[in-house]
Amino acid sequence: MKEHVYESVYLRSKDFEEGRVLFETWDPNTHYAWDAGIAIGRYLQGLKAGQLIGRHCPECGRVLIPPRMFCESCFCATDHWIPLQDTGTVITFSLCYVTWDMIRLEEPLIPAVIEIDGASTGMGIMHMLGDVDPDAVEIGMRVQAVWKPAEERTGSITDIVHFKPVE
Amino acid sequence: MSLLHRIEHAGDALAWHGDMPTLGRYTAGIAGEKFFREIMENGKFLGTICPSCDLVYTPPRLYCEQCFAQLEEWVEVPTTGIVETFTIVHLDMDGNRLPEPRVMAFVHIDDTDGGFVHFLGDVEPEEICIGMPVEAVFKEPGERQGSILDIAHFRPR
Repeated sequence: MKEHVYESVYLRSKDFEEGRVLFETWDPNTHYAWDAGIAIGRYLQGLKAGQLIGRHCPECGRVLIPPRMFCESCFCATDHWIPLQDTGTVITFSLCYVTWDMIRLEEPLIPAVIEIDGASTGMGIMHMLGDVDPDAVEIGMRVQAVWKPAEERTGSITDIVHFKPVE
Repeated sequence: MSLLHRIEHAGDALAWHGDMPTLGRYTAGIAGEKFFREIMENGKFLGTICPSCDLVYTPPRLYCEQCFAQLEEWVEVPTTGIVETFTIVHLDMDGNRLPEPRVMAFVHIDDTDGGFVHFLGDVEPEEICIGMPVEAVFKEPGERQGSILDIAHFRPR
């Protein structure tokens, strides 16, 4: 059988915009809603109310935050909600000089994992640190949540603006 | 609160909402481009010929489906054909009842080995039969856009 190499045609946006090629467009509706689930749904409602909440495991006794309906260590159902403080301890952090889409920053963003007071050891949430000199941040630093005004809160993790050092 | 649970207050349903940009462009391709431009500009159909398999493709193909040879011989083919099969459509894509049923048919184009699906018009549904001779009705030249819908429909001849 004779072999053939078919000519390729490279198309650029301009070829479409200037009508140089015939084409159909398809713009499907891809709106979606992603259910937060029982535990995170309640957690987000707590954030809207300015309150951090955790969930208790009857087997190992740990208090979990973010809350979940089962304990990943014991594989059993968690049994009740526990209100927590909005203060905690920095257990790890990073000074980030690039944004997620790789734009260089003069002043670093400081993502950190904060062990929340009232939750078990190592139970923390990831958030940003603010109102702080980047050079002064250290593991073990005591921090507290800075909340958005109640009327601006939407039931999202961003209802907390950032964590700042406890004065 | 999960969507599996009964929601008593609208604010209890917590979900993230988003959109994914998914705009697609589907080109007619090299052979399709030539085919649709001929319809748009001259109201004619084109085909390609495979001499070794003795086949006439319309809509035209760039290669032969039988022997994979590159097809370089282009030919004008008739805008008439026969109804190979048909169906009467009463519902739209969303399942809503159409004001008038529409007839869709596969039309085998005369003097070719090909054809395509299109609407039948200017005909009562009960008059249609397999084997019925039909002809293409084109839109006015100014209304054509280089699409299969530049053919308004096929009608009995």
